[in-house]
Amino acid sequence: MSTPKPGPLPELADLPWAKPECREEVSAAIRSACTKNLCPVQRMSSRMRLTLCIAASSFVAAVGYWFGARHNRSELGLRMGLLGALGWAIVQAAVLFMGFGPPRGRVSTRTVRLVLAVAVPVLFLGYLTFSAWSFVPFEQFSHGARASHALSCGSVALFFGALVSGGVLLAWRGTDPLTPRLSGTLAGLIGGVGGALAVGIGCPSHEAWHLWVSHGVIVLALGVMGCLAGRRLLAP
Amino acid sequence: MTSYSVNMWPALEVARLTFERLPSLAESTSEQLMERYVDGEAEAFEFLYRRVSPNLMGYLLRLTRNRERAEDLLQITFSKIHRARGSFLKGAPVLPWILAIARRSFLDERRSAQVRTEDLSPDGSLPEQQHEERALPAELSDALEVALDRLPETYREAIVLTKITGLSVAEAATVLGSTETAVKLRVHRGYNQLRKELEQYSRTP
Repeated sequence: MSTPKPGPLPELADLPWAKPECREEVSAAIRSACTKNLCPVQRMSSRMRLTLCIAASSFVAAVGYWFGARHNRSELGLRMGLLGALGWAIVQAAVLFMGFGPPRGRVSTRTVRLVLAVAVPVLFLGYLTFSAWSFVPFEQFSHGARASHALSCGSVALFFGALVSGGVLLAWRGTDPLTPRLSGTLAGLIGGVGGALAVGIGCPSHEAWHLWVSHGVIVLALGVMGCLAGRRLLAP
Repeated sequence: MTSYSVNMWPALEVARLTFERLPSLAESTSEQLMERYVDGEAEAFEFLYRRVSPNLMGYLLRLTRNRERAEDLLQITFSKIHRARGSFLKGAPVLPWILAIARRSFLDERRSAQVRTEDLSPDGSLPEQQHEERALPAELSDALEVALDRLPETYREAIVLTKITGLSVAEAATVLGSTETAVKLRVHRGYNQLRKELEQYSRTP
């Protein structure tokens, strides 16, 4: 048995890597800038931020319910919409707790959040498909009253969704330099689901294309917008 | 008088317990130093700076390959840390948090440099880019730096973070926004390339 030939270099970490230091005047400037008039910073706890996000979602859902009740939507429809919204509120809260609760930088949280970012829109589109009661061909849906209703419903859902997403992004502003795009995507998805369901409580249409376009696409669109905004708002 | 002494003892006891619970700054972890810095303790920042800045400067210098730019970025990074200290979440690891801020500052600076106008030389022409092929210096640590410089940026960054800065593969993956497998692969390939570069050094008498 031959002994292995020693390699030309030891392990990378044991090599004599240089330890560069910056000039003393640069260090002094940094120290003075960061410690001048230093005072304690009032920090919002993760629990407080989570509570704010849930409050924003609940407010939007309450507005949706009020809108539905005001526009004489049938009691059964309202009750069904409210049940769906309550179910998804649990999912939203879970996404918030798992996606934003644990401090970023832990490896497991990134995997969990990646799974959530894929699972939430897939599950939501599945939910919309199952809750559709009727189906008309796309040609019929894309013209006339159906199209204009889809447009107005989608705009309102987008507005409410953007409100919730904006709230989540603001509540967690500057907290995630490591994965701001992923966190932004989750914020967009949470807001999108919130907006789509809030409008869904008051929306009388149960047609499949309407649900996919006016309620489903909003979630995806806000996910993409959240991803773009996350880079700006969530990274310090 | 009696009520004064009765009320005073619990307060003293709380103060003693608080004092005993806080580790000295030298013994504190970077996370504890960050917490105390956020709570307004200037001395904690001094310790944190001393602990973090060599790693950060090394990382930035190896990314930029330019001392002035690295020092500028070091200042930018610390000013961002100072402004964002209120949004540092309790329990988050400090070094990856700081390195991620430094990396984003570097990427932003490079992006803005791409659209920056070029300074003309005195005769009115554009300065030529210099692509010199440097020979490996005699000192091993200098030779290492030159060889590291020759690596592609992705390999270089992965090696700097894991082998020089001392992050775990998982932490480096979060800083780079990549997977652990990809980081391991980059380090492995970078190491092979580095080994080839340095064979020349080991052959010289």
